[in-house]
Amino acid sequence: MIDLGLPRLLLRAGLTYQLRHRWQALLALIGIAMGVAVVLAVDLANHAAKASFALSSAQLRGAATHRVIGNTGEVPQALYVQLATAPGHPPMAPVIVTRVRVEDRPGRLRLIGLDLFAEGTFRSGLPNVIRGQRSLGEWLSRADAVALSSAAATALKVDLEDRLSLRHRGKSHDLQVFAIDSDTGIGGRDLLVVDIATAQVIAGMPDSLSYIDLVLDDDALAWLRGRLPASVRLVDVDTQTEGVVGLSAAFELNLTAMSLLALLVGVFLIFNAMSFSIVQRRNLFGRLRAMGVRSQEISRLILAEAVVLGIIGTVIGSVLGVWLGEGLTRIVAATVSELYYEVSAEAMQVGWLSLAKAVTLGLAGTIAASWLPARQAARTPPLTTLSRAALERSTRRQLPRLAGGGVLLVMLGLAVAFVLPGGVVTGFAGLFILLLGAALITPLGLPLLHWLLIRLPLGGVWRMATRDLDRHLSRLGTAAAALMVALSASVGVAVMVESMRTSVSDWLQDLLTADLYVAADAFEDGATLPDAVVREAPLLAQVSAYSVYRDRRLQIGDRRVRLVATRLAEPSRRGFDFVARTDPDPWTAFDAGEVLISEPLAHRLRLRPGDPLVLPTPRGDAQFTIAAVFRDFASEHGRVFLNLAHYRRQWSDMQVNTIALFSSTDDADALQKAASARFSADYELSFTAAREIYRESMAVFDRTFRITEVLRLLSVAVAFVGILSALMAVQLERRKEFAVLRALGMTRSQVSLLIMIESAVLGLLAALLAVPAGLAMAWVLTDAIQFRAFGWTMPFLINATPLGWTLLLGVAAALLAGLYPAWQASRHDPAPQLRED
Amino acid sequence: MRHLAALILVAPLLACAPPDPVDEDSPTTISLEQRMGSTPDPGFARALEPREFSFPADHGAHPEFATEWWYFTGNLSTADDERLGYQLTLFRVGLKPGDPSEDSRWRSHQLYMGHLAISDIAQGRHHSSERFSRAAAGLSGATRNPLRIWLGPWSIEGSGTALFPLRLRAGTPETAIDLQLQAGDRPMVLQGDRGLSQKGAAPGNASYYYSYTRLPTRGEIRLGDRRLNVVGNSWFDREWSSSALAEDQAGWDWFALQLDDDRDLMFYRMRDKQGQAQRFSKGVLVAADGAVLPLSLDDVALTTLGEWRSDDGVAYPTRWRLQIPARDMDLRVEAAFEDQEMRHTVRYWEGAVVVSGSHSGVGYLELSGYAR
Repeated sequence: MIDLGLPRLLLRAGLTYQLRHRWQALLALIGIAMGVAVVLAVDLANHAAKASFALSSAQLRGAATHRVIGNTGEVPQALYVQLATAPGHPPMAPVIVTRVRVEDRPGRLRLIGLDLFAEGTFRSGLPNVIRGQRSLGEWLSRADAVALSSAAATALKVDLEDRLSLRHRGKSHDLQVFAIDSDTGIGGRDLLVVDIATAQVIAGMPDSLSYIDLVLDDDALAWLRGRLPASVRLVDVDTQTEGVVGLSAAFELNLTAMSLLALLVGVFLIFNAMSFSIVQRRNLFGRLRAMGVRSQEISRLILAEAVVLGIIGTVIGSVLGVWLGEGLTRIVAATVSELYYEVSAEAMQVGWLSLAKAVTLGLAGTIAASWLPARQAARTPPLTTLSRAALERSTRRQLPRLAGGGVLLVMLGLAVAFVLPGGVVTGFAGLFILLLGAALITPLGLPLLHWLLIRLPLGGVWRMATRDLDRHLSRLGTAAAALMVALSASVGVAVMVESMRTSVSDWLQDLLTADLYVAADAFEDGATLPDAVVREAPLLAQVSAYSVYRDRRLQIGDRRVRLVATRLAEPSRRGFDFVARTDPDPWTAFDAGEVLISEPLAHRLRLRPGDPLVLPTPRGDAQFTIAAVFRDFASEHGRVFLNLAHYRRQWSDMQVNTIALFSSTDDADALQKAASARFSADYELSFTAAREIYRESMAVFDRTFRITEVLRLLSVAVAFVGILSALMAVQLERRKEFAVLRALGMTRSQVSLLIMIESAVLGLLAALLAVPAGLAMAWVLTDAIQFRAFGWTMPFLINATPLGWTLLLGVAAALLAGLYPAWQASRHDPAPQLRED
Repeated sequence: MRHLAALILVAPLLACAPPDPVDEDSPTTISLEQRMGSTPDPGFARALEPREFSFPADHGAHPEFATEWWYFTGNLSTADDERLGYQLTLFRVGLKPGDPSEDSRWRSHQLYMGHLAISDIAQGRHHSSERFSRAAAGLSGATRNPLRIWLGPWSIEGSGTALFPLRLRAGTPETAIDLQLQAGDRPMVLQGDRGLSQKGAAPGNASYYYSYTRLPTRGEIRLGDRRLNVVGNSWFDREWSSSALAEDQAGWDWFALQLDDDRDLMFYRMRDKQGQAQRFSKGVLVAADGAVLPLSLDDVALTTLGEWRSDDGVAYPTRWRLQIPARDMDLRVEAAFEDQEMRHTVRYWEGAVVVSGSHSGVGYLELSGYAR
């Protein structure tokens, strides 16, 4: 046995107590286990999505150390040929990557085009897959061959020789499954590998590549330096951010936030469970102290217990967490697959880091949560310790001090979140401090509530119940705080999501002013319109005004931003909401060639109106002046709006992606019919009304946050179980008291009612306090953390629905928690309970 | 002749040769035998009867045939009499007859494979590398005007549409050759029946084959940091066909010797799977004035004098006795040094040799079909 430096007697006292109060020990364990489980589950699900992506990215990257990328997103093919035919060239491989959609399936896949003869040094797995299964000559000489991983084949439900119909920029491409890799040559469920010729055709890049992969040492670096034109750049593969093709940062932040909130709730549950078991035993400790047990020995005993409970709880929690994590991973994978890229739920692996985090939380959290009560129990003189009244008195005395500290913490939290420089982490630190402060204030609510309720003209059981709130302050205070934290986290996230939703909705409605949007089939990324459509659509009789958009990606530093070259009609211009500008009318400057940048871009690059902005053009870098910053949720990486005429001069690109048409009459449908009649026979176009785009966009938004909703409900469920256990422990401990009441003549139903009222009031209190705390949290999430993360400023809007739900939830949880003790108290014969001591 | 590409075409002959892991020069390690395991697609043209050669056009590519090569070897030396051998071969492989789809410039039915080897005879070191590319997008290919065959930075360039002077350039980050080959005074030799060289019993199992047996050569060879000015003679073989080795054929031993008495001797021995010489074994003895004496199996006696074993136990006969009794020739042909193995996608031994005995000289020897 581990030597804890404790007398055997003392250990036995602790053990006997836990065995006699099996219920309480069990409930404490549930608290710990649930806390650990949620943190672990969220963490696992979060990592699974990222790991699945990272795996295929790493395999894609292969052995490359460097990459030549183009300023305009493309590298001229001639450059590759020139380098590959120059004496002394280092190993290099041309790559074309694009996103495709498989016909009739949601989500997009990565299509990568490679020249297998250049691949040996880079991704040797790929040629091995081909030659292992089929002939290389056939691969090269067939224009429709595609290779994929067995995971992808399973996901797409295809087998060898099956046809696979891909959509890219409004065009269909019919491929045939040529090889399926059951090993690891082609990683990931989101990868389709084709010959570079096929990729060029699909991507519509007849003269260019996405990039050139290289393996460079110092000599090769020197060799390469003088040979690259100004239109391309050499980047270190390591520093090229995964964010370019990775998870949407918003989605990732979302998952992280939820994981942290789960952690917070978990810590509170553990704290509640531990502190309750200690507070309840003050009698025992008092007796032990009176018998001459030293104070250090008592605190050591408590900590030893905490360690044992912590270990058992953590083990149970870890098992539970892995199980829960599998379910969550499936939900996350489904959302990510639908919105971003194919990931497999099988990608979940129980990582050491996740496990370590959960174990640390379980053990350290339990010990830390026991630390304060242990110290208190050890410090108090023996006689005082014995008296329950003394405990309640001292608790009450401490309440104002605690609340005062809480108020200070709340203010500190807000200051950290809003004022302190730093990134998202600082924002979350502020959020946690804020929540801790709110938790400290909560116990003060109990006497205040008691003071209020006692004045209500209700008698009998009601009076007893309200007075009990005050009498059991030391026990109920922590439970109320734990319930409050759990509920406020749920309020906070719900209000933030709702607030964001409203902002995005308003912004979309302002933006989508035109009656009809014409794009190449289905608004797919990068699809361009036929010239004839661009020329003739504005000439339709029903059109009063029109706007033209050319949307493309641009590399600024290590960021990929979207450049929107546009000719904007007057009503389109009215949809812009400028958050910063030098001139009251930035449009004059815009027409003169200055650019408008979106808020996220301004935030990330610390740009202000009047600043210069250098954009890479096919002719090298060109400098533009920023006329204004506008509110924009379209891209977290940022967007730059440039006058179409200036764009065409600098980029020599006459392509157009979208035309927005304004109807001269009120009849938008007539316009749509006219446009469709004019063009549909000749071209594959999509005609979309503003309201449809709005609907689609909001659907995407809702899908993104569906996982948030699941996680929020999960944390509520954990809080629920935690509250249930905490309240149940409180009520079960009072069995003797209830027996006395029964013996004194109270009926079964009166005792039950007493317990139910107490629980309901406690739940109500926690819910009431959770509302302001949750709103403060939502405020921090919306205006501090979102801004720190994306540079989005959005009005903080309060929606009543989640608040109402929270109140209901709090009371319901508390009522449910009262059911069992109420049933027990009313069922049992009071006599044995009374005899017990 | 050089049946190397034919060898590639025949899968059963090849143990799936793993790429040399030390050879980092090789940009890729793809074996071709899978696709080329059987006889070429019947859509390719076949060498059925002697043809009217037309030069310089026939120096260029013949994509209607399945395989084709430009094969250079040579013995060179520096002013300090430091001796070096080299081999540069560009192979064209037709993957499929006909033209590819025209939707992308990367599409091609043609593939080029290159082998480069430099034998540093003084040090006894053999530097070799291999590269591949599709004949598309300008990465590799052949043009007739100007006459140029290239594979990445490796190239064989004529002068305008004429073949000579020829410039050979190829290299790796460690080694390189840059050589000028002159026409010299020896005329081209048409091998076999007016350039139709029968390689097996089946009709069409033949190639169009001609050689330049002695081309005065000078230029530069780079070995690491050392740049060496070299002079000497090269041997140039041109061959195209759509043939494959027959079932029972195992490989061949090929000799290209430049004798000090100004005569050149070429002889190849086709071996069956029992190691016996086949009647398709042929050769020529070229006199200083260009007069050609054909040699058949009956004219030549070949005896193995010694073997060299690679580290993994493949035995190559690198020392020979070659007799042509009717011409009073009794030659010892020995590797300039033993390890001149080409250990790439296709594994064979090809190296500089020294001739002694009744006549002295230098040359190149190719031993194929030994690695199983």
